[in-house]
Amino acid sequence: MNTSMNKTDCPELTVPVPVFFTIGVFSLMENLLVVVAVIYNRNLHSPMYGFMCSLAGFNTIASLAKTCENVLLVFADAGQLEKIGSSETKLDDVIDSLLCMSFLGSIFSFLAIAVDRYVSVFHALRYHNIMTMRRTGTSLGIIWTICGVSAMFIVSFFDFKFIMIFFVCLFLICFVVICFLYVYMFMLARNHARKIVSVNSGGAITLTILFGAFVLCWAPFFLHIIIMAVCPTDPYCECYRSLFQLHVLLLMSHALIDPAIYAFRSAELRHTFRKMLPCS
Amino acid sequence: MSSHNRSQSSARRGDYVWQYEYYDDEPVSFEGLKAHRYSIVIGFWVGLAVFVIFMFFVLTMLTKTGLTHDPKKDDDSDDNNAVSRAFLAESRSYFNFYISKEGEGKDRLPFDGLLADETRTDTDCDFLSHFNIPNFVTCEHNSSLGEDDPLSKGNSDCLALAEV
Repeated sequence: MNTSMNKTDCPELTVPVPVFFTIGVFSLMENLLVVVAVIYNRNLHSPMYGFMCSLAGFNTIASLAKTCENVLLVFADAGQLEKIGSSETKLDDVIDSLLCMSFLGSIFSFLAIAVDRYVSVFHALRYHNIMTMRRTGTSLGIIWTICGVSAMFIVSFFDFKFIMIFFVCLFLICFVVICFLYVYMFMLARNHARKIVSVNSGGAITLTILFGAFVLCWAPFFLHIIIMAVCPTDPYCECYRSLFQLHVLLLMSHALIDPAIYAFRSAELRHTFRKMLPCS
Repeated sequence: MSSHNRSQSSARRGDYVWQYEYYDDEPVSFEGLKAHRYSIVIGFWVGLAVFVIFMFFVLTMLTKTGLTHDPKKDDDSDDNNAVSRAFLAESRSYFNFYISKEGEGKDRLPFDGLLADETRTDTDCDFLSHFNIPNFVTCEHNSSLGEDDPLSKGNSDCLALAEV
């Protein structure tokens, strides 16, 4: 193998740390606001808001972990932090586990929100019997436990290709299920809307935003994982992998825009924000 | 997310670097590349953009044409009305804004109501309460029009119908 070229032609794209910081801090504030608003307002103690709160909670953890990591990186680059040490390794493992947990949790929360909406549309009369608060609490507990345990497994046994494959398959399965649920709901809604008024493409725009954001923000990172497993030495793959920081940035920005897509569309939640914030 | 080479524990102790570097054990040779270096990157993003735009057009097309099963009786017969009303009651969370927005035009889009918070207005609750449906879903304490909507004050009536 020709090893004369030690420098790569695809230099790693570095995202400036202030950008990471800004996105991390803003997303942290937004999601924390959503979590606090849902807990604070008793009207919002329903399954739908419970799942949104869980999504915001996972995004909060992701933003927090990422921001901490950025702080530690800044310290490490400035020489304040010892780069070689068991405590730093452990800290890195903890942060990676938290990030992994929050990513998994986001996916499961999307799935839960989609299932909740599906039940509310197609089984509206039995909605309160199907989606009781106890079942919501149980499913949220299961989601958080599974995510926490899976994250620890994934980070501990990251070497095994099986773990990566499992991670990717999970993402694909959840994405397909969410896709199916929403498109089915949309088709049924459109079918019955034809009788009433001509339906313009507003629904299409909403769905496109929902899915477009999910796909645009998550797919690059997952392709990165796949490429890491499949072709670590290929030059084309190397050029793709050089954009790693950009892919992580996209994941972080999804945590930033999630509240806008899910939570802030709710009038009740906006009303709660206005009551909570002192400046209104 | 930072990473380090986990397969070698010695490297872990000795060469651990806290940064974003990834799998740089073997230098990759860039000689003799047939296509452009970033071809995977470009191809991926183009494919993604095409997918999103394609999805948008498919959804818009589903909106405009009737691709799903076409009901044969399309007129407003009484049977149809009864069936429609029953179905309306079933899918109340989707249809509530139609009832409330009959005269309002295109302001509130159908699927926005589906994906946004399912708010119930006063007229909606009155309409559906005629069915005497047990375990009626709680009417939430707000209106889709905003908090300064005069209808929102009457929403508390809906709470009486609900079981918690």
